[in-house]
Amino acid sequence: MKGSISNRIRMLRFMNGEMSQAELGQRIGLTRQTIAAIEAGKYSPSLEAAFRIAQVFKVPLGEVFQWDAKATPLKAS
Amino acid sequence: MAYREKIAWLSLIAMAVAYGPYFRFVGRGPGSWEPLPHLHPLGLFATVSIVRMLILGAGYLYLRLGSPREDRPPRDEWDRAIEHRSVSAAYYVLMAGMIVVGCFMPFSSTGWTIVNAAIFWIVAAEVVHYSVVVASYRVQASS
Repeated sequence: MKGSISNRIRMLRFMNGEMSQAELGQRIGLTRQTIAAIEAGKYSPSLEAAFRIAQVFKVPLGEVFQWDAKATPLKAS
Repeated sequence: MAYREKIAWLSLIAMAVAYGPYFRFVGRGPGSWEPLPHLHPLGLFATVSIVRMLILGAGYLYLRLGSPREDRPPRDEWDRAIEHRSVSAAYYVLMAGMIVVGCFMPFSSTGWTIVNAAIFWIVAAEVVHYSVVVASYRVQASS
């Protein structure tokens, strides 16, 4: 089935004072490795974690995650 | 390397060191293993299991003392997703093994051959479990 979730977490971290993956993870209760996996598109976070990430960056959820219906999905958990 | 990946590697190494020689030994054929009850194989298996536990204990201690607290964060949703995936994969291996051991082997084998086959499939399921954990963390690390 085609379609995958992309995200702009790397850019949003950069725009928020080059926030580290560890700091973002700490603020939403995830590990640095999990943030890295989400950023790389290897893992699709829970809806709750997605909302928490958006809340940290003070942007709507749609600005953090996008759905690309034509893309081939990466191997994700 | 994530702390949980290190634990998974430790478990794989402990199994290889303990059960590798065990299955090589019992794989030579039934021989003096038959028939039940023959307690020497049980003693050998107990020794092997103790060796495995000692390796795991020492390894856990080494990893725990060698990793600062921030490198050992509580399990989060991704860790749980990996655990769920690895346990699911191991479950199918265990089920397949138990079907072979319980439904087919009684027609062709007896005694310790069946017991060792059951142990083999349990170990195989554990190997699959930890291998999937390692592979899942590796996929992320290589990205």
